[in-house]
Amino acid sequence: MAKPKIASDWLCGCAGCHMSLLDIDERIVTVAELADLRSTPITDLKVPDVTGVDVGILEGGINNTANEEVALRMRKSCKILVALGDCAVFGGVPAMRNFFTLEETLRRAYIECESNDSEGKIPDDPELMKPTQVRSLQQVVPVDIFVPGCPPDADTIFYVLAELAQGRIPNLKGDKLHWD
Amino acid sequence: MKVTINDKIIEVPQGTTVLKAARSAGFEIPTLCDHEALVPYGGCRLCLVEVQGARTLQPSCTLPVNDGMVVKTESEKISQARKFVLTLLFSERNHFCPYCQVSGGDCELQNSALAEGMGNWPLSPNWQRYPVDASHEYFIIDHNRCILCRRCVRACGELVGNFTLGFEERGAKSFLVADFGVPMGESTCVSCGTCTQVCPTGAIIDRASAYRGKAKDVEHHNTICLGCSVGCGIDVLTRNNTIDRIEGDWSAAVNGGVICKLGRFLPVNEKRERVNTPLVRRGDNLQPATWDEALDEIASHLKPLVGKNGSGVAAMASTRLPAESLFAFKDLFTRGFGSEMVTATEEGVTTGLVGALADELGKPFEDYLGSVQSADCILNIGVNLADNHQVVGFFVKRILPSGVKLVTIDPEANPLDGQAEISLHPQFGSDFELIAGLSAAVVKLGLAKKTASLPVENDLALAVEKTGLTAESIESVAVLLASAKRPAIVFGKGITAQSSNKALKALVEFAGLIGATLISTKGQANSVTAAQYHLDKPLLVNGHQAAVIMMADEKPTKRLIQKLENVPFLVVQSSYTSQLTATADVVLPAANWSEQEGHYVNLEGRVQLANQSIEPQEQVWSAEATLAALAARMGMSIEGDWESELKKRTPAVAIA
Repeated sequence: MAKPKIASDWLCGCAGCHMSLLDIDERIVTVAELADLRSTPITDLKVPDVTGVDVGILEGGINNTANEEVALRMRKSCKILVALGDCAVFGGVPAMRNFFTLEETLRRAYIECESNDSEGKIPDDPELMKPTQVRSLQQVVPVDIFVPGCPPDADTIFYVLAELAQGRIPNLKGDKLHWD
Repeated sequence: MKVTINDKIIEVPQGTTVLKAARSAGFEIPTLCDHEALVPYGGCRLCLVEVQGARTLQPSCTLPVNDGMVVKTESEKISQARKFVLTLLFSERNHFCPYCQVSGGDCELQNSALAEGMGNWPLSPNWQRYPVDASHEYFIIDHNRCILCRRCVRACGELVGNFTLGFEERGAKSFLVADFGVPMGESTCVSCGTCTQVCPTGAIIDRASAYRGKAKDVEHHNTICLGCSVGCGIDVLTRNNTIDRIEGDWSAAVNGGVICKLGRFLPVNEKRERVNTPLVRRGDNLQPATWDEALDEIASHLKPLVGKNGSGVAAMASTRLPAESLFAFKDLFTRGFGSEMVTATEEGVTTGLVGALADELGKPFEDYLGSVQSADCILNIGVNLADNHQVVGFFVKRILPSGVKLVTIDPEANPLDGQAEISLHPQFGSDFELIAGLSAAVVKLGLAKKTASLPVENDLALAVEKTGLTAESIESVAVLLASAKRPAIVFGKGITAQSSNKALKALVEFAGLIGATLISTKGQANSVTAAQYHLDKPLLVNGHQAAVIMMADEKPTKRLIQKLENVPFLVVQSSYTSQLTATADVVLPAANWSEQEGHYVNLEGRVQLANQSIEPQEQVWSAEATLAALAARMGMSIEGDWESELKKRTPAVAIA
């Protein structure tokens, strides 16, 4: 059997879940032996193969139209989609802004924020993506596996990758399951 | 009754809930709104179980067992229901865990979801914003984290009898409010903090300990509160030898977990400056010194004064000190120094008269706190239970909704007047006449449960004259109390701090006539012990050449500071600096309540051990260690033991 192909990408997150992935240390070699690591934001290849991958991993929630595109592309490219981390699973810290209107948050970020100069302006170039409410991954595309945690432990990530690489569906419980 | 739970047959008494039965059989059922100290409510629906023959899943917390009932606590159907309940709870308000103070083990909501193996919420939150009420001095209410379980509301009413917290609106609009929707800090809240302790989520959080780490990382020290004579059981949570927060001990016999502001918040918010090293007066200034230097200084001044009656050493110890210390103090100064002026900071104000009456009667005449909690009519006289001995006030207030009648008698407005059936405000100094008048009314109306030992004919008229009250109002109180099945009388300083024991005797006589139990609130944590050791006389310093004052962590009164102003040589052992330490010749650092260990006798005669929770600084000594060092320095010894000394005098309330 050919090694399963794994690709990952990040959306509205802090890259912390990918850092936690790197925290598996030398076990990344085991993962590389078991699976064919394809595109990730932290390797040279950034976009999944057109022929598709077996497992797609997404970190972060969806807070604009660009995130939506990436999420849809990954969903189309993979057989099993993993939501990695609290932002992908629930919306996470960025979702705090959902308690305010988009207008309020943009004004706060680009005009009122103490670190801005007096000429603050909300970017409105038509080339830019459009911000939206922050959504969890499953509100935009169907998700197969949820790995919550802020970030999920390296041990949890290794367990999930190792299970998927060996063709099994991981079952998170006990120490591996936490939401913070 | 025989019940089958998960194929295990067990027998439980009638009235047991399915939840309790299952737990006693070793099966865990998750709960959220349920709490061991509260009446089951059945609000959260997390504890659903399958009952054979029932059409739907049943809430186990409110369902009493039936004989032959067959219950299943784990099944796919139950698990699905729990997940559904939790999903609804999570999607209702802001339950994003990473930025919540209780996340990671301290949140019962999160723990329940993790126990169900939930990796996500199938429903998205509704993103409605709720206010955060940070108006209270000691805690914050974040309505975004509230799951409407009503534990806080039930605790406020059922346990504290304060009924400050409540809910407005219904269904999804339900909203926790204080009084009629005022900010918590401006409400009728008495800051007992029971709501912070029962809240299962991060909705009500303690300001002092919030975001300082997780509860699993703290050490627990079960001990008693030294705030007053009630002696409530508390759990002191410490981290790195500092107090994180204080909680009520649900298993404590005295208070069952309920504590007041004095026990929960004030010790953590202590602002006084510590005395960290011995200080010796050199000229006008107090200079830091070693313990050896300080003890030498004390010994050299005190040695010539040994045995000098009236012109020797006067000594006073705080009634917040443990029995061990009070005993050593009494023995060293009365026997060692031969001093006739050895007393405690309360100077017998709350215990002098009751102690003397017990001596006279030759037996205890007061009852236990439990008699108040099982009473059907309570007379509150001469004590303000909203400001002092607050937990006794909670015990009174919380049983009033069940039909218990309250009578308050106080020359001034009493905070409990509003909840009282009858409130009397007699003239100052007319307590004796009023109580004698009550006895007379009871006899006159033929309600006495035994024969009166005093002639009573004219007492009612005299009471009317002296108190300024009408005969009808006095009679109505007499009728209410005398017709009760289990009347209880709670009295305090108003009666015990008088110059004569006339009013106290009249009260005991009245209690006898109506078959009422009596309990006085006493003073500080070791009031009763000080009384048993005869450390209950007024401090008189006329001609004494030196005074040794062991204040511990007690705050000196202005009166005491004035009394000691002209003593030629003043030694003060105190945990905190004060005007008194500023005027002393030698100041010794003292352990505070959390840094010492020892026994206390509470207002109902219960002997309890207070445990140490904090390791004091190197130079800070307990009173007991200080007394031992002083005795050694003087070539004296401390003999006898605190426990047998406790039983030598007839106590006002049986000591056990």
